[in-house]
Amino acid sequence: MRRSLPKSLLGQMLLAVALALLVAQALSVILLYRAEQNRIEGALVNDLAFQLVADRRANGTGSAQTADPRGRMMRPERGRRDEGRRGPRRMRLERALESPLVQGEMRDAERETALQAVLERQDVQIAELVVLSRQISQDPYIIQRLEQNPRFLARRGWDPDGELIIAGLKRPGDENWTIARAPRPPRTRGALAGVIIQTLILYVVLVGGLAFLLRRLTQPLAQLTKRVEGFGGTLGSEPPIEPSGPDDARRLITAHNAMEARIAALLDEKNVMLGAIGHDLKTPLAALRVRIESVEDEDERARMAATIEDITTSLDDILSLARVGRPTDPLERTDLSALVASVVEEYEDMGENVTLGDTARVALPLRATWLRRALRNLVGNALRYGEQARVALVREGDEAVIRIADRGPGIPKAQIAAMMEPFARGDTSRNRETGGAGLGLTLARAIAEQHGGTLVLTNRIGEDGSVAGLLSELRLPIT
Amino acid sequence: MNEEQVKLLLVDDEASLREPLAEYLSRQGFAVTQAADASKARAVLIDEVPDLVLLDIMMPGEDGLSLCRHLIESRNLPVIFLTAKAESTDRIVGLEIGADDYVVKPFEPRELVARIRSVLRRAGKGAPAAETQSEAHYEFDGWQLDPLKRRLTDPEGTIVPISSAEFRLLVALLDHPQQVMDRDRLLDLVQGREAHLFDRAVDNQVSRLRRKIEEDSRDPKLIQTVWGGGYRLACEVRRAVPESD
Repeated sequence: MRRSLPKSLLGQMLLAVALALLVAQALSVILLYRAEQNRIEGALVNDLAFQLVADRRANGTGSAQTADPRGRMMRPERGRRDEGRRGPRRMRLERALESPLVQGEMRDAERETALQAVLERQDVQIAELVVLSRQISQDPYIIQRLEQNPRFLARRGWDPDGELIIAGLKRPGDENWTIARAPRPPRTRGALAGVIIQTLILYVVLVGGLAFLLRRLTQPLAQLTKRVEGFGGTLGSEPPIEPSGPDDARRLITAHNAMEARIAALLDEKNVMLGAIGHDLKTPLAALRVRIESVEDEDERARMAATIEDITTSLDDILSLARVGRPTDPLERTDLSALVASVVEEYEDMGENVTLGDTARVALPLRATWLRRALRNLVGNALRYGEQARVALVREGDEAVIRIADRGPGIPKAQIAAMMEPFARGDTSRNRETGGAGLGLTLARAIAEQHGGTLVLTNRIGEDGSVAGLLSELRLPIT
Repeated sequence: MNEEQVKLLLVDDEASLREPLAEYLSRQGFAVTQAADASKARAVLIDEVPDLVLLDIMMPGEDGLSLCRHLIESRNLPVIFLTAKAESTDRIVGLEIGADDYVVKPFEPRELVARIRSVLRRAGKGAPAAETQSEAHYEFDGWQLDPLKRRLTDPEGTIVPISSAEFRLLVALLDHPQQVMDRDRLLDLVQGREAHLFDRAVDNQVSRLRRKIEEDSRDPKLIQTVWGGGYRLACEVRRAVPESD
């Protein structure tokens, strides 16, 4: 259920407006229907009352009936002529000794009350009043009239299946019932159709207009979202977004462009600064490296050279880490299997214990210098802490997975995440014996992320349940 | 003995590096002239012509790249860059201008000496013609090899990374297509600065290279084994200078 609800601003807004409109229209339909209903009922009751009131005069049963007891004149009665001339609807009154209510029929209390009220307003004396409804074709009086004139109903345009409202009045001192009949007008469908058409027009105008307006807002928003999502990769390399849409959206885009420019400037400044630092540190290191060549003691000289190399490696790692989020080299479609093989071969040539397992042929856009560096860090770690490295490249769904397995002690589960933080090292002593600034894994992870991938470290569990080594997985999406 | 006369010009603005390096190189038997910047280097060049120039890229005033262009275009001198930047784009720019080699600071002085000798050896063989050739790409069986960037691309345009040993082996084969190359000859041709890595086994490098460029490395079509002889590149090779990119 939840899934089918729209998630976007446009969808939600349109849904809310559509629902509100539906409720409003439903309410007005109900009100309209009730007003119509009341009007019909009122007309019906008035019709019956008029027939009953008029009857007294028409029949002329007593002089007192020309004026009511208060002396007010009743409206001139049109009498019999009516039936023929004034409408096919009205029919002649029936006079009967019996109440029109047949056994098993229900009295219509509501209409009775309404009719009674109307009659009382006309000062009609009521001894008994009965209102009921039955089907037109079932009414004995109608049947009787039909026998006299088969076109009786057709002439009036009455539907034999329609509902007939029958009102019987018995006045005090009169032993006859006066019985009036009126058909209940059929339900008007026209009104409902009108409301539906009106609703549809409103929908088209309002929802369509709203969709148009919202689109002007959501399109720049979508553009901005896309831009922010790709921020890291594209920063500075793409022209700023053209502000569009309503003012609010324009201001947001302008502000975003300004922020993007500031960030790009900051990053550029950082790169320039790091370049300068790198240059300023590497030149004296180079001088030092030249100077130690004059040290006589060969062991001493080798140790000094190793120290300088350590510093250089750390410096390179730091500089790389600072630059990894803003690479200058483009992505190029490269044979990943050949790249993995060439890194493994480098280590093989140095006589290291590295083996290359299965390599699937996978080619994807990547930055070879960076990825090679990540692989070197991972293989180097495996050799340093785990004696040997087994490297494999497999394809898993839409990911290329480079696996590097070692036979070391692994990493305690709780520390795995911390290991990828800068300057973390497996042995807490931080002695330089094991080498590196502790940036290897951080850099490898950052490089994986630069390629839209991930670095996953897990302990390999041997058959006896103990840790058999560490498994590093570099997962890259295949695009 | 010949080396007594080898004259080097060392251009670097950092005295702290330039002076000990000049001293070290003198001890190695080179005659070293120092210059602190590009204009001083130009001044030195008026009086004497060195056999090789060691050039720092980042210098105040005229930078190393611009001086390098002058040295190569008007003097045709061998140049080795000293650079503090390890980024590959900087190296490629240097090599594209026509520098013969580069070392990244901090370098091992012995390695620098080895490279100086290697560049001099190549220059001494009088190969300026080869210099102009070095930009030309190799094309074979749909593959392309850019010798400057050491970039091998397969027929679909996918880059196939190769090691420097594999690169030299491939170039040796590409320079002699259809010829039988025995192991000694190959070893000779591919002796580069990482020769010690290479002489482990030509066969080993060949099988690695095959894994990367052959459709089925057990049934090689491009690099064929010749019984009792060595290897042979069994396809046509064209060389073309690419339209500038």
